[in-house]
This record gives sequence, C-alpha cells and structure tokens, in this order.
Amino acid sequence: MFKKFENFIHKAIQSSSQRKLILIVTLIAFVLSILMIAPSKMVLAKMLPGKNNDTFNIYVTLATGSSISQTQEVTSCVSAILTQEKELRDLEVFLGMGSPLDFAGLIKGSQFKNSENVAELVLNLTKKHHRDEPSYLMVQRLRPIVQSQCQSLYKGTKISFVEPPAGPPTMAAIVAEIYGDNAEGIRKLSSRVSDVFHHTDGLVDIDIMQDDIFDTFKIVVNNTKIVRSGVDIEQLNNIIYLAFEGMQIAVKNSELYNDQVPIYLSLSKESKSFTRKDLNAIKVKLGALKLMNTQGIMIPLTELVSVIAEKSHPMILSKNLHMMSNVMAETDMVSQVYPLMDARETILENFSDTYKIKKIGLFNLQLTDKESGKVYKLIWDGEMEVTLDTFVELGAAFIAALVLIFLLMVVYYKSYAISGIILLGSFLSIIGVIVGHFVMDLFTVETFFLTATSLIGFIALIGISSRNSLLLIDYTKSLMINKGMDQASAIAHSAATRAKPIFLTAVAIMLASTLLAGDAVFGGLGVSLIFGTVAAVIASLLVVPVLLNIIDLEKHFDIN
Amino acid sequence: MKDINFIPTDYAGKIAKTFIHSPLTLTLGLFILAIGYLSLEIMPREENPQMVVSGSTVIIALPGASAKEIQKIIVNPLERKLKEVKGVEHIYGRAMDNVGIVNAAFFIGEAKEGANLKIYDKIMQNADIFPSGAMKPIIKPLDIDVDIPIVSIAFYADNEKMSKTELYDSVKKIQHHINGLENVAVTELKGGSKHQFNIEVDLNKLSGYNLSMGQIKKAVASLAYNVPATKNTSKDNKIVILGVKNALDSIKDINNIIVAQYMGSVIYLSQVAKVSDSYDIQNFKKALIKVRDKNGEFSSFKEQITLSVSKLQGTNAVIIADEVKKELLMYKELLEKNGIHYVITRNDGERADEAVNELVYHLVLSIVIIAILLAFVLGWRESLIVTFTVPAILAITLFVAYLSGQTINRITLFAFLLSLGLLVDAAIIVIENIHRHYHSKESAHETPTELMIKATDEIGAPTNIATLAIILTMVPMAFVGQMMGQFMKPIPANVPVALIASLFVAYIFTPYLAVRMLKRPDHSDKGEE
Repeated sequence: MFKKFENFIHKAIQSSSQRKLILIVTLIAFVLSILMIAPSKMVLAKMLPGKNNDTFNIYVTLATGSSISQTQEVTSCVSAILTQEKELRDLEVFLGMGSPLDFAGLIKGSQFKNSENVAELVLNLTKKHHRDEPSYLMVQRLRPIVQSQCQSLYKGTKISFVEPPAGPPTMAAIVAEIYGDNAEGIRKLSSRVSDVFHHTDGLVDIDIMQDDIFDTFKIVVNNTKIVRSGVDIEQLNNIIYLAFEGMQIAVKNSELYNDQVPIYLSLSKESKSFTRKDLNAIKVKLGALKLMNTQGIMIPLTELVSVIAEKSHPMILSKNLHMMSNVMAETDMVSQVYPLMDARETILENFSDTYKIKKIGLFNLQLTDKESGKVYKLIWDGEMEVTLDTFVELGAAFIAALVLIFLLMVVYYKSYAISGIILLGSFLSIIGVIVGHFVMDLFTVETFFLTATSLIGFIALIGISSRNSLLLIDYTKSLMINKGMDQASAIAHSAATRAKPIFLTAVAIMLASTLLAGDAVFGGLGVSLIFGTVAAVIASLLVVPVLLNIIDLEKHFDIN
Repeated sequence: MKDINFIPTDYAGKIAKTFIHSPLTLTLGLFILAIGYLSLEIMPREENPQMVVSGSTVIIALPGASAKEIQKIIVNPLERKLKEVKGVEHIYGRAMDNVGIVNAAFFIGEAKEGANLKIYDKIMQNADIFPSGAMKPIIKPLDIDVDIPIVSIAFYADNEKMSKTELYDSVKKIQHHINGLENVAVTELKGGSKHQFNIEVDLNKLSGYNLSMGQIKKAVASLAYNVPATKNTSKDNKIVILGVKNALDSIKDINNIIVAQYMGSVIYLSQVAKVSDSYDIQNFKKALIKVRDKNGEFSSFKEQITLSVSKLQGTNAVIIADEVKKELLMYKELLEKNGIHYVITRNDGERADEAVNELVYHLVLSIVIIAILLAFVLGWRESLIVTFTVPAILAITLFVAYLSGQTINRITLFAFLLSLGLLVDAAIIVIENIHRHYHSKESAHETPTELMIKATDEIGAPTNIATLAIILTMVPMAFVGQMMGQFMKPIPANVPVALIASLFVAYIFTPYLAVRMLKRPDHSDKGEE
C-alpha cells in the first residue's frame, strides 16, 4: 500500500498538470473555508458556548422605590412556575439581598444588593448525568414563560436568568455604554438603545443600569419658626427618623445570646403607616408628632415644617471619570456578535432623526444631538468586548507562533524557501478547522460555535503539522545525502516511509481529542484538533511534497 | 556493561546510550510514577482555575447630600485620586443620595496584596480631600477566594411555633464550629432574624400623654448602661468588689421605665408602647427555601438561614467540603430534635471532584484507545511500551505543576488531554523507527542495543526540532491577557512541560524497554524492507 502511495506521489510531483491541480484544489478549499466564516455566517463565532450546570440563578429587580412585599409577590409568581419543574431539587429565595456569591454574581454586583426592590432565586437541579435537558435549554424554555407571566405584575420589573459562566464571567453578553455630559441626555439615549435591543432577534433580559425616577416627598424646614420655637434641626431630624425608620437606641449585653441585644425604638406599625401615599396623609401624620422645646412646651411638627412632593434623585454612574449608563442584554443561545451587528445597523438607520452619527473605532458610535449639539458616545462592552479582545490577542499569539516557527526552521535548515513551505503547509490546517466546525454544526441540535478554544486548537495544530513536514523533509534530506537518490524519488520515498508515523500520531491526536469534542467549553478545541489534523496530514503528505519538488532541494540542502 | 560501538551524533542517541543498560533507569521510572501519583493525590482540587482578579471598593457616606452633590464633592475627587494608582484598569463611580461608591478594578493578573495596599495608601494619604461631615471611608477589597463560598447550607425549621431567633441562635453556634475547621477562611450567615427588644410606640397614646419621642429615647438610653465593677479595700486590707447591677435585665425592667411625670403621677413605658423581646422587625431582608418532602412534593416556603463557607487560597476544596459535611453530621441529630433541618445548597468541592474524576477517566480511556490502535499497527509489545510512557510523562508534568503551585482543575486536565495527542508522538516516532530497523534486513547484522541507539539517534534531530516547534506555538499563548488569558493559563503552562518530558521519556525509556521486550524477527528466509 505504501509502495502504491510512493508511486502516486512520484508521478504526481513530476507531472506539472497534476501539480497544478493539487495546488489549485488546495487554494479553492482554503478560500471557501475562509468564506464560511466571514460573509456567509455558516460558521458562527462566540467566545465560549453554554455549559450544562446543576444550578442557576434568577435575578428579580422591581422598579426603584418598590417595597419588599411587592418584590415578594413577584418572586412568588416566579416560584409558582418553577415548582412545576420535575428536575428542580430545591429553590431558595433571597429577598432584599443577593444570594451567596458566585462567579457570575461577582461581576454583576450581586454582593452589593441591599434594597427592597431586589431578590435572587437560586435553583438547584438534579445531577446533570441523570437529567435529559441541559440547563441552558431549560433556561431558554422557562425564560419566556416566567417573563410574560410575572414581569407584568408591576411596571418596570425585570427578571433575568443567570447561569454560571463556562469561562470567565462578564457583566452581560452585550453591554452598550452610553457616555455623555448630561444625565438627561444619557437617560433618553439609553432608553432608545434599549428599545432597539428589544426589537433585535436573539437578545433577552434587556436592562438599563439606572434607577427609575419615582415620587418622593420632602420636608422643608421653616427656619424662622425653628429659631423662635426654641428647638433645633438635629432634634427635628432625630424625631422623624426615630418615628418612621426607628433606631437602635441602646444595646444590652447578654450571656444568653450570641450578639449584643439592641433596644429598638420606633412608632408601632399601625400608628406609623400613612393612610395614603399623598401630601395630606403625610401632613396629618406629622401633625401628631410633637417636639419638646427648651422651655418644656410641646410643639406639633407641622408648625415648624411644610411638606412638598418631589421626584427622586436617580443614581449617577461614571466609568473612568466619564458619566455614563449601561444598556445590557443577554443572548438567547446565539452568538453575541450577530445581534450586536443587527442592533448597530438599526441604530445607524433610525437614530439619524435626532442625532448626527459618526463611526468611531471598530464598532463604536459617536452621536451628536442635532438640537443641543451635545455629544454622546456608544461604546460596546461586555462579553462582546472580551471576545473581541481575546480573539485579537489569540490572533496575535497565532501570528507570533508562526513567526517563531519560521525563525526556528530558518535556523535549522538555513533556507527561507523550505521554511516557507513548512509554514504554508501548517497554515492549511485551518481548512480542516473551519470545515470541522461546519460539519459539527450540521450534526448538533444547538449551534456549534467557533470559540476561543477552537483558536487555541488551531495554534497547537501549526506545531503538529510543521512536525509532520519536518519529519518528511528531514528524511528526504538524509535519503538524498546518504543514498544519493534523485530529488523526486527521494521525496516520494520519504513521503511513503513517513506516512506511517504521521498517520499514527495523527490518529493518536484525533482519538485523544474525541473526548474533548463532547465538552461544552473545549468542544471547539477537540473539533479543531480532529478535523485540523486530517487537513494537516493531507497537507504534509500531498501539498508539501508538491511544493518541495518545485524548488531545487540540492541547492537548499547544501549538497556538494 | 556491553561494549557499544555506535557513536551517536544527537542528544537523543546519547541519552539512549547512557540509560539503555543503566540499572538506575528502572528505579527512575518507578520514582517518576510514584511522584506523579503522589502529586495527583495531594494537589488541591478546584473546579475552575484560580484567577488573579484584584479590585477595591471605596464607600463614603455624606448624610443629607443629594446624588448630584455626592458626585461633585465625593465621587469625582475620589475617582481622580484612584486614577493615579498604577495598574488600575477601570474606575466605576456611583453617586446616590447620601452615599458615594467608587470601585477600582485592576488589570487582570495584578497581584491582590499589592493592589489592596496601593488603594488603601492612596485613600489614607488623601483623607483631607473629603468634605467635612463625610463619614470615614470604608475600603472593601475584592478577594475571589474569600468572597466566593465553596459550600452553602440552608437551615430551616419544621416547627411553625419556633421563634424566629431560635433558628438564628442554633445556626450561629454551628457557624462558630465550622469556622474553626482547617483552611476555612470566612463563614457568613444570610437571612435569619437577630434578637432585639422592640419598643413600639403608639402615636395616639403619645399625644394623649403629651409626650415626645425624644423623651422616651432619653429615658431608655439613660438606664441601658453597663458599668464595670469598682474595687476598693476595707480597713483590714481585704478587697471589696462593688458592682452595679444592670438596670435593664428583662422585658419587665424595660416596661417599667418611667418616661415622664405628668400631673404628679408617673407614666411608665408600658403605658404608651408595646415592649417585646423579639426579632429585628426593621430588617426587610429575608431568605426562604422550598424543598421536596418524602413524597417528592414541594413544601411551602420556609424561612431559612444560609451558612456559606469559603476557603483559603490554594487549599483543597474537596477536603474542606467533606470536613464541613462531617462536622454538620455531628449536629444533625441534635438539630432534628429541635425541628431544624438543613440542606446543602452548594458544594463546589463535590463539583470539583466530579469534574476532576470524570476527566481522569477520560484520560485513561484515551490512553487505552491509543494503546489498542498501536497494538494493531505495530504489535502489542510496542504498544505496551508507548502506553507506559504516557503515565510517566503525565507524572512528570503533574509533579512540575505541583511544584509551581498550581491546582488540579478543569483547565489543567484539559491541558493534559490536549497534550495527550502530542506527547505520545515522540514515543511513537522512536518506537516506529526502532520497529522499522528491527524488521529490516539491512540492519540484521547489528546488535539490538546498537540498533536501538542508532534508531533513536536517527530521528533525534527532527523530533527535537518538531517538539520545539510545538512548544514555541504554545509560548505566545501565555501572553494573552484578560480574563480568558488567565483562565487558559494552565494550557501554556503545562503543555510545554509535558512535551519536554515526552522527549526525555521517549529517549530514555523507549529504547530501554524495547531492547528488553521486543522480539527480533528471523530474517534468514524472508523479510520485508
């Protein structure tokens, strides 16, 4: 069999028409596979795919200023749906605070949650080996049901599903940072961007990182009256705080309990609650509170202050010293690259009515308000940014690897032509990588993404295929020097002899990688290695011999 | 030792020549396997690799200031100061009513200790820039190891009548014991209600007696005071200890506090307020749990307290989780007598162990598959030799990883799986060349030892260079920054080690085993070339 192969190679590398055919076919395969990624989107890129977990969280956020009982109402609605799940083992609800911290929560700010309008639910599922439905599909199935039923209970409620990330955690799949100088403008622009996200396919759990503006009341102190009546403002503040919020006014040490026992003073629940949320009700209640002045005379609070209605002050966010706001969205089992492109297209098309849009950087936008002339910036961040950075850096690592190998070969063979052939041969394994992902995508239910680990696999492949070429060339050299064979037969003989170890090592790599291919995170790496190795073997046994015979080996090997 | 005439030209041949008849080779092989196994057992196991993420949050409160004021006088100056710190990648500011929060995130990979110190230094040096009336800055450093618990346990009571604080007290006791376990860093409680004496004043009665809240506060505070005992001596030099008994010992004492005297008669606190020995009613936070009962049906929501346990950096999550579980079992009976049950809601130790064991199983499976393949192509003896080299190489790699302070996690094992395909290469190439020479007529006159060394030497140079090439492809990956770079670090850290080990193992052990195990075919009548 190897004899036949030797004859075939011998003929092929000497006939110029077959040589051309091999090279042209290779070139076409290469161009086609590149096309699969870029314009046709047949192979989709994503940093890391979903991972099947035994647990996930649900974050519930009501509009700012909502009460804990309203929040509990929403979590009850959510848990009523969840408890129908057969695979659910237990369900925890943390009201007014974050759940015990995990990787995702660390970045999403779960540890800072401390208000009545937030809650987190923790779901523990049955072990993944005994469960048919992976957690990411469960999330995808439950998300629309939970959101449609429970988000409508109170306006402004956001329910988002948070899965443990397969790799490093990010704030959200897509984050649009809106920078500007005035809070109003940022608010307006953010809500428009979030509208665009709502109408973009594949985006879910859309949220704007900003407080809602709600109604509050403010007590305005009448200075003259305060001075005349002989009470001071501190006293007044204390009384209001003590009455409605309550205060721990003293502590008691105790041998019975683990902590100091505080003594807490407040109005009783019935007497402190207002009858309605309006100005008059507040005035009535304040009238019943009295202050004692320095002369020991009781003065009703309403004598000293007036109450006005006011809007709340929303939180002001800044990043790197610039005022900003975040619009965030998660992706629903799709790569974040393509929805982002779609959303950006829509912004470019629709926002030109009020803004003058300029493209900055790779995808970022600068929007100038046509009326006020104020300048805003839209910068993409989140997993998208991390993906981009990672791909760019891995790309750089790839180029660095190519350069290093080239230099190594030049040092070893002292010939640019041979080093170039080795490099070209190893570069061809990319055909296998891309085709492999396309084939896998056809055979799997979910989208099989080209991920960061695929790139790592590709980088390792350059090394592997240059090893193949190296063994081939080295043997050819020794055949020509020691046995005095002519160039074509030496190449053919060497290809045939080396075919066995090359096949063996290739099969070893492929077998070792099949187990990788099944994993969520490292599937890309496995598939890259399996299909890339096939391409690498073909390249080093067919394309490299052809290329080798084009150059004059005797000169390059420095024979004579 | 036999005379070896062949003079090797490459390191490969030289190494093979040195070890092929050395009695130390066998010992070395066993030693390598032993340290590898030991490393696998004692290396800390985790699910995810350790990531170096540093950052600090600075919180400054200024009561009474609006969000806009906070932004101008607290957040902006603070942001400017933190920007001076080297290594800070992003600064996030949040200005709210009454409080300003600034978060400085360092570049990924910046060491935690240095980063924390730099922020602390910067804030302390600039304590004068904060406005008067602002409270002392609170600096909270981020610490992934300590902040993220590896085990969490939810305690809940079956008994409806049990007071809310009783559960808290029981769990608090257990918390102390668990905190005492080795390598446990932080334990924390979420949910639950603390003890508190509540004085709930009735507004109508208050105005009826013409009292103000201030008077009540003053009256209670003046009595709730603990004083140390005084010491004196009597005339005959004996010590006399004089202690003042706490005025408030029970609810009765609080109820009987006189808040005012009105028209000659005294008004007790109990007349205007309801006093109760109860829990912190002002706390809006609550933790609930639903579990399945014996019939698999969900119970109603029960109040729970979650105890979370985090570990010290670089310690074994698996062992700590097991210790915690064991410790809990000791209290199980006592708790259940009181109607308290618990359920473990997070166990990263178990998850890590599962992930690691699964991958070790995959690793073994791959080795077996490759061995079977080689047995068909090269023969079972050759296959056995290659199969031996794999654990030896992995053992060396594991040992080096252990020495460099790494842990066994998902990514380390994937690095091994990835290198598995690469690291059998050297051995396969050596054994294939030996096989070829062994079975060829031309070299029938040479002694087995010489032939082994020659065959090893022949492919030495290209194998060295090829392995070097693969190592070089991995080197740039170590420079990938960001989270992803950190996450993937075990790959560029371990694959090159495995590859270098694979070269040495291939040159040392393959010829050593081959000369003892392979049978030479008889070339007298026929033979293939």
